[in-house]
Amino acid sequence: MKPRIAISILAVGAGLATVPWLGLPAFYESFLYLLCHWIVLAISWNILSGYTGYFSFGHGAFFGAGLYATAFLAGKQDWPFLATLPAAALAAALLGTALGAVVFRVASVRGELFALLTLAVTFVLATIILNTPIDGGPGVYLIGVQLPRLGPSANASIYLMGLAAAVAAVLLAYLIHAAKLGAGLFAIHDDEDVAEVMGVPTYRFKLWALALSCALAGIAGGIHAVFVSYVTVAETFSIAVPLGVVLMSILGGSRHWLGPAVGAIAVTGLQYFFTSGEAAVTGRALFGLVLVLAILFLPGGLLGLLERLRRKTPSPVAADAKPAVQPALAPSPAASGTPLLQVEGLFKSFIGVRALEDVTLEVRKGEILGLVGPNGSGKSTFINVVSGHYRADAGRIRFEGRDLAGADGHRFARAGIARTYQIPRPFAQMSVIENVALARMFGGVGCSRAEALAEAAEFVAFAGLGPHAQARPDALNLHQRKFLELARALAARPKLLMLDEVLSGLTPAEIDEAIAMIRRIRDRGTTIVFVEHIMRAVVALVDRVVVLNHGALIAEGSAAEVMREPAVRAAYLGTTHA
Amino acid sequence: MTFPSLGLLSQSVLSGLFLGGMYGLIGLGLGLSWGLLGQINLTHFGFVFLSAYLCYHLTMVWGVDPLLTLGLLVPAFFAVGVVMQWALARFRVSTFNSLLVTFGLTVMIEALIQKIWTADFRKLQTGYGEEKFSFLGLYAPLPELLTLTVSAAAAGGIWLLMRYTDLGKAMRAMAEDAPIAAAFGVNARALALLLSGSCVALAAIAGVFFALSFTLTPTQIFSWVGVVFAAVMMGGLGNPLGPLLAGLVIGVSEALAMAVFSPSWAPIVSFSLLIVLLLFRPAHR
Amino acid sequence: MLEVRGLRVSYGAAPALSDLDLDVGAGELVGVVGPNGAGKTTLINTLAGLIAPASGRIGLNGTDLARLPSHAFCAAGVAIVPESRRLFSAMTVRENLELGSYLPRAKAERARSLESVIALFPALASRLGTRAGSLSGGQQQMVAIGRALMARPSLLLLDEPSLGLAPAVVETMFAAVRRINAAGVAILLVEQNIGMAMELASRAYVLEEGRVVLQGQAAELMGRPEIRKAYLGLE
Repeated sequence: MKPRIAISILAVGAGLATVPWLGLPAFYESFLYLLCHWIVLAISWNILSGYTGYFSFGHGAFFGAGLYATAFLAGKQDWPFLATLPAAALAAALLGTALGAVVFRVASVRGELFALLTLAVTFVLATIILNTPIDGGPGVYLIGVQLPRLGPSANASIYLMGLAAAVAAVLLAYLIHAAKLGAGLFAIHDDEDVAEVMGVPTYRFKLWALALSCALAGIAGGIHAVFVSYVTVAETFSIAVPLGVVLMSILGGSRHWLGPAVGAIAVTGLQYFFTSGEAAVTGRALFGLVLVLAILFLPGGLLGLLERLRRKTPSPVAADAKPAVQPALAPSPAASGTPLLQVEGLFKSFIGVRALEDVTLEVRKGEILGLVGPNGSGKSTFINVVSGHYRADAGRIRFEGRDLAGADGHRFARAGIARTYQIPRPFAQMSVIENVALARMFGGVGCSRAEALAEAAEFVAFAGLGPHAQARPDALNLHQRKFLELARALAARPKLLMLDEVLSGLTPAEIDEAIAMIRRIRDRGTTIVFVEHIMRAVVALVDRVVVLNHGALIAEGSAAEVMREPAVRAAYLGTTHA
Repeated sequence: MTFPSLGLLSQSVLSGLFLGGMYGLIGLGLGLSWGLLGQINLTHFGFVFLSAYLCYHLTMVWGVDPLLTLGLLVPAFFAVGVVMQWALARFRVSTFNSLLVTFGLTVMIEALIQKIWTADFRKLQTGYGEEKFSFLGLYAPLPELLTLTVSAAAAGGIWLLMRYTDLGKAMRAMAEDAPIAAAFGVNARALALLLSGSCVALAAIAGVFFALSFTLTPTQIFSWVGVVFAAVMMGGLGNPLGPLLAGLVIGVSEALAMAVFSPSWAPIVSFSLLIVLLLFRPAHR
Repeated sequence: MLEVRGLRVSYGAAPALSDLDLDVGAGELVGVVGPNGAGKTTLINTLAGLIAPASGRIGLNGTDLARLPSHAFCAAGVAIVPESRRLFSAMTVRENLELGSYLPRAKAERARSLESVIALFPALASRLGTRAGSLSGGQQQMVAIGRALMARPSLLLLDEPSLGLAPAVVETMFAAVRRINAAGVAILLVEQNIGMAMELASRAYVLEEGRVVLQGQAAELMGRPEIRKAYLGLE
């Protein structure tokens, strides 16, 4: 978080607050108010939908909830106007949180289904408001509502309130973007399941983003009620708000905290070229067209385009720099042999497949345990269950004495478990160093965003990716992406590190280097579970080996012992050649 | 809230069935393109309305019999569907982005309609509208009856096609795993174009019958979205009979709600159903 | 019959197959083995038309398939049994088999082909109306092989048919593969169960990092210490 940006935002706001005293025609105040109004709406929408990728088509519902809270309380119950604003924010936030609390638990409602659900909520809310005393049908008049005298005229006061809301919205969007919450939200956007496994409390973060988004929309609604001074259900819950916020955020750039504001200014400004009735229709058509073109050609919006042009493409490096820095891994006493992880009776099935069948094993502190078996034997499933990526169907997973089975995925990372993915799953829209920093921020005990970025540089260098620190993962080759996985897992300073086939695709020389690196990691106190096919690496590294076949454990012991067992050889070579 | 008489209730149920038929007819093309092509085509609603307005125009201004306008509109819209699919495939638009893109396109169509025909209410005045059948003391207007019949025939016909012909099986295979279907000789690209053209042609048909039964105004486009989506999801994506059967259920529930409570409560039925569905039986392809 | 020359396949910038040469004669059973990530599935998928090669030639009975669209491969006589089956799980067993014979040439003999598939896998006879997705792994494998046979191919591509199957079921599968080959269908078999693969195949290729590192008669390859070492890590 850079204080000077926050101060700049406030300064711009302060500057704009002087407009009512500049003696300009009233039109300008109204126009500026509308700019502020759309800035708040677009920015608030973006906090959830742009940052996390959960596109909501229901922003109109939260806006409408806030608007009607004010309309009802001030217009029909004679509350003082300012008192209605917290009520508006609260009404919208409660609606959103209640919705989110249920919906975010249903894992399959993402993407288009979430969009449809939020659209449906808008219609339901509109119908309820229309048919109850809140509106009842004829609309609500707010002409008689007393406004606080903030400026030389009522219009000015409304403008100033709108300005305050806009400044607050922009500031909030910036602060979230710069905080751990923002990093977590962007991780959710790119790969929610991986984010959860890295320690991001995805459910809680999404609820926060939704609540803040709704509260802001509610305030915008409350203020807008007195601006239009006569509200109807049809106007409030029309397609204008849901369409407008999506368009403005996508056009401006939904990944940037300022993006929606840029989009709001652009669209509202353009709209003023089409003020007459006829042109309003053309304007709508134009907006539709702009949305279509933006989706097809400019997925990152205007600011995204600027970002891409500004980002330096990393020059291709012939060979990755050899790791020179030894980052501070969690120091701890030498192998003590006590059980770190105890798995009992683990079962996991998918449709028609028993992936894990009654697996019981133990990982001792300070050891390197090899997990081997033919393809489809359940090795990756085991790692997925023990890292919190999947929930076990039955069984116990005791880590340092505490049973984690059934807990949310992020608790596994918090406990000190980290893993790499066999097919690398980096956060595609974050740079290499941001990927690593995220793991450091949320894994184990975690740390602040600033600390994480500082330490991430060391891990990135350790993995030989120094020259690519600012690059996106898609600019890396498979080998580099595998090392990014490793750096990311190490950055979490885990007590237990699980490596899922890190060596496949490496040349023999690279394999030797990797073996040495893994030994160094263990020597510094990290316990390692090592899934691998490349037998010479397994034999060279592991203290003990566990063999899986068809989801069941068939052998356990030293590498030499296990590889001589007939059942093991049959599993790999087939019965005739065992 | 006075409880209505049996006669009124029965008429309501009948109206609900007719409305359900309309939901089914609109939902047919939508569900097929979502289930088989992985596209959430909001433009479908735009096309229905555009076809309705064109039918209105051809009938009122050029004196063509509304049912005959099908002969012009169906092929024209089929071509539009082919072009649209070609564009969506070329730009590799994902399922979610298809929702956004078609949202934008729908807004454009709505604005176009408003530009040409204004926001005034337009009602098709034809001989069909005057005809009514009555039986058992209930009234069945001809346009609505036609809609229900066409809806059932289209749904049934497509269901038979999907179930029993090689083409239908190829489409189902393509929907599930297009690359493997191609490995067995299915020209997925051509089939997708054919399917998309057919879905938009179905929208054209729905539009003509819509014009026969309803008063037209452009802003109404989005109010049908929720209800039809609910019908499509309840009926199961890609299942031709689904939107019709679900539509009938929704139509009748709405009609009963309107009769027992008040008409303005009607939207709550379908949208609440949609919400419940999304939470407890999310659609899967 | 199958002549692959200089095949190059990339995923973006990363090469998956480099300069690959491979032959399968009419009626031959050729094995392809190698470690994970060596490119075996990429090879099969490219030969089936699922992936477009960057360069090279895929000659089948004289025609170069490399630049043809996906749906032309089956017409040329290639049929695939993909890794992890990839059946049309929402469709019935019968419909899956019928899809295999979608093209006119195969469709003309659909009834006869169906009979021979049932003869090969009698367990399917009672399950023709069952949804493919609800079958067990072994039964699904039978349907996948049957579907490919319905296309009446001259070249059958088998990608890890034993994956995830219990040993007893694997035995049945491989017996069936033997019978298919005996009936004159050329087979390219990718397998991780190297023992079984080498038993069935007359010749084999060993792939590593997208290249052929060893090739020869199956029996001779199996005796080589490098193979045993690579797979078991010892002796």
